[in-house]
Amino acid sequence: MEVDNKVKTEEVESVKTQKKSYSQNNKIATITNTDLETLQKRQKAKEITVKTVTYVFLIFFAFITIFPFYWMIISSLKTDTEYRLVIPTFFPHEFCWGNYAEALQVEGFWRALINTLGVAVVSTLLSIVITILAAYAFARLKFRGRDTLFAVLLMTMMIPGELFTITNYATVSTLGWKNSYQVLIVPFLVSVFYIYLLRQNFKQIPDELYYAAKVDGASDFKYLLKVMIPLAMPSIISITILKMMGAWNSYIWCQLVNDDKNFWLISVWLRNSSFVSAADRAASSTGNTNYPIQMAACVIVSTPLFLVFLFFRKYIIRGVSRSGTKG
Amino acid sequence: MKIVLDGLTKEFENKKKNSKVIAVNNVSIDIPSGTLVGLLGPSGCGKSTTLFMLSGLLAPTRGSIVFGDKDVTHLEPQKRGIGLVFQNYALYPHMTVLQNILFPLENIGMPKDERIERAHEVAKVVQIENLLDRKPSELSGGQQQRVAIARALAKAPDVLLLDEPLSNLDARLRLQTREEIKRIQRETQVTTVFVTHDQEEAMSICDVIVVMKLGVVQQVGVPQEIYDDPHNLFVAQFLGTPPINTFAGVIKKGGVYIGKEKIMDTKLPDQEIYVAIRPEGFIPAKDGVLTLNFDHLEVMGRERSILSTHESSLKPLIRSIVEEFEETGAKSYKFNLKPHKVFLFNKETEIRISDDKVYDAPVVMKGLEQVQLEEKKENAFQKAWNKCKGVFKKKEKAEEVKENSEESKEK
Amino acid sequence: MEAKHQWKGWIFLAPALILMAVFTFYPFFKTIGITFLNGYNPLKATNQTFEFGIQNFIDAFNYPKFTSCLYNTIIVTIVTVPISTMLALLISVALNSIRPLQKILQTIFFLPYVTNTIAIGMVFAVMFSVIGTPSRFTTVGVINTIFGTKINWINISMIGGSNASHFTRMFVLCVYIIWNALPFKIMILLGALQSVNKQYYDAAKIDCATKAKTFWRITVPMLSPMIAYVLITGFIGSFKEYTASVAVFGNDLNSIDMNTMVGFIYNQIALAEFGRAAAGALILFAIILVFTMFSRWVGSKKVHY
Repeated sequence: MEVDNKVKTEEVESVKTQKKSYSQNNKIATITNTDLETLQKRQKAKEITVKTVTYVFLIFFAFITIFPFYWMIISSLKTDTEYRLVIPTFFPHEFCWGNYAEALQVEGFWRALINTLGVAVVSTLLSIVITILAAYAFARLKFRGRDTLFAVLLMTMMIPGELFTITNYATVSTLGWKNSYQVLIVPFLVSVFYIYLLRQNFKQIPDELYYAAKVDGASDFKYLLKVMIPLAMPSIISITILKMMGAWNSYIWCQLVNDDKNFWLISVWLRNSSFVSAADRAASSTGNTNYPIQMAACVIVSTPLFLVFLFFRKYIIRGVSRSGTKG
Repeated sequence: MKIVLDGLTKEFENKKKNSKVIAVNNVSIDIPSGTLVGLLGPSGCGKSTTLFMLSGLLAPTRGSIVFGDKDVTHLEPQKRGIGLVFQNYALYPHMTVLQNILFPLENIGMPKDERIERAHEVAKVVQIENLLDRKPSELSGGQQQRVAIARALAKAPDVLLLDEPLSNLDARLRLQTREEIKRIQRETQVTTVFVTHDQEEAMSICDVIVVMKLGVVQQVGVPQEIYDDPHNLFVAQFLGTPPINTFAGVIKKGGVYIGKEKIMDTKLPDQEIYVAIRPEGFIPAKDGVLTLNFDHLEVMGRERSILSTHESSLKPLIRSIVEEFEETGAKSYKFNLKPHKVFLFNKETEIRISDDKVYDAPVVMKGLEQVQLEEKKENAFQKAWNKCKGVFKKKEKAEEVKENSEESKEK
Repeated sequence: MEAKHQWKGWIFLAPALILMAVFTFYPFFKTIGITFLNGYNPLKATNQTFEFGIQNFIDAFNYPKFTSCLYNTIIVTIVTVPISTMLALLISVALNSIRPLQKILQTIFFLPYVTNTIAIGMVFAVMFSVIGTPSRFTTVGVINTIFGTKINWINISMIGGSNASHFTRMFVLCVYIIWNALPFKIMILLGALQSVNKQYYDAAKIDCATKAKTFWRITVPMLSPMIAYVLITGFIGSFKEYTASVAVFGNDLNSIDMNTMVGFIYNQIALAEFGRAAAGALILFAIILVFTMFSRWVGSKKVHY
């Protein structure tokens, strides 16, 4: 978009004079053939400038975008000594893979990993079932008050979740659910947005199919299972992936309700663990944080998401472009 | 402004099939200043491609475009001084009609009051003064079409280009609008190029018609001349409603035969031919030269059409429009033919042959038919990479199919 | 037939409705109730004394860190949302205009969307961090190295010496939030751009519009519904920002005045000060509501078709 201003105004001038002659209704062109050549040269130059600026701009921001990832990875491979050099190195002198081994040995990692995977899988499965049933009811079944109910549900999307959190915290405390798995799963099983998304998808499936199935004597449930779900599969996959990612990234609620390390999720573990090298720990010195080990832990936590992104990019983008929320 | 196209050619590369498609093949036309020219042909004949090359939105592969005395072949659309009306008008949906018309004027740097004056001026020409404050979505198809023309005319272009401007209108509106276009063109005297696949449309309003087929210009001329003197079978068949009747025939010893009947004399040498006869070329006569099997009679208003069959006809029914006809209940009737309504074509080349004139084949650049490009040599890495891509492609395709089925449902 | 099957719909809906009743509808009214009941604690037994009033709001406003939380939230919102939206718009337009490298650049720009907020926040902290003592840095961090500065951005692991200023901390936080918010916006805007009919651009060319003019007069208005969407979701998201700050600065945000409104609410819950938490949540809700309404109102005037 950056255009040489001088060139631009000159061009405008020439076009202007050209126009003048039109309005005087004599159709004599004012651009001569020599003008034409220079015009074409400028045009070419401008094109090249615009292309170059565009690429430079994009590559610059692409660089900024990936730099944190790059820094995370190379930092995770440095020795602590190299990391603490006054001027940081942009590529490790020697690869210290041991950082990863040490990161995996930090207390609570495996427990947090298993917790996270378990919570993610269970909550996604349950959530999908509930979402499908509700979406089907809203899309296909007829009962009194359906549309009003749906409108009420949509309205709840506007309310910030923190408003619910306060009472939910009290509820789960009263239920004695603090420091448990169900507290991470149950309050978040219903997502109005996913119900909405799937309902829209179900609605696109023509009514004729439903009546045909009815004529063939299929029950609602069978129809849902054999026709609706297979047809809406791409959306269901999108929902699954986004829900999984949400579970993997969830932090605040877990931090609030589970202070027992045994029930931590991976993000909570990452933020609340101290990353000290094995040697320091052995010497039981409080020790300084060993940042390469910390970065190795960050890489370990980030990697599954990248893999999911690489394989399911299409579904993620598809889900996102219809959503407004992360996770 | 005069337009000269010289050897204009456009090739599209099909990367998947590694082949080239020649969309426009060696088109050379001279368009005199102030004429309304119709580019006519069936879909895929390259007429729109030619138009877009004229506009500068597409760059030609070869050849040149000259406006007046300027070679504009490589000039951007902005600097060509053209107006273009798109097939679906492409009116900016977020601007009012007035803003749409003002937009090009603003861009060429016309002062504000002059701009508005000019906008009202063109609005008057196309008769949309009462619509200026509306958004395009609030207009009917015909009104949108006029706005599009107004926008194109506003900056007083040297050349006005219209891409199938009537195809989105219903039949009655189409008739009315084409007269309108003719009127506007006469009033403004702007050189106009008009793309259409409707021969009737082209015949009715164009000063000159360029008939195209598969990227090649078949014939250029004023409408009546092309109708009366088609240079090849395609042109003869494409122009005229109802369409011309074509028979397989033969020239033997100075006679033109359809089946066993000799319909006329000729000096042409013996050969297999096609005989094409315009529907109005038949005169029912007891001593006629051609016998047709009667099928049925069609009376529409003042027109009487006899529909008949003949074993040599390329189409199942032959239509002949006659002034007087008495149905006697006979199975077949004899007809005399008006000589200037009968055209002969060589069977192989489909080029017109006649006693007193030699017709040329359309000008095609040699070796420019569809070309299979030389297969690129792959090295081991590329092979592996392509294989990988192939696997993903398959996956994507499966997904696409799913998505498409979904989209069609949405509709 | 329809009346007979009334119950069916409710059965399909039952799981969702029961859960929502407990975790959505009930809390909504209860929380609003809590806000206006002074001294009520939902964790305590039933026989407590409380009265109706707005004392909770007064308490919240008088709470030492409340203004700082509100201030931070507002700063984050007015800094990050316009910048990230503008950048996302420019990047999507640029991406849409190129052919070679488009796919790979697109993937790179989408990448931060799938990151773990905590993990990459920690990476940002490391990039900006200075480790050591003021007199002798052990490392000045990569950002200082690149820009040749010696700014103590956030001082993690800095022994002694002056603290990092609120400004530099805020700067780091905003940079992180913008970086984090870009991919979602680029995805939405790029999608919208790709669905704009190419013919409008052709028409603009014919109409002698310059590239800049085409961008402002054609592209932006055509995208306006999606830009509005991105802006509104962006504003709501940044009003609720908390995790990013925790990711960069750790859990003790109050001591360095980097807490946000949501952080305030969570802190109060953890302290079992439900009245104050609820008051905070309601204030946040009110801000978001007013803001959304305002954007809708502006949108109805400015957003085209």
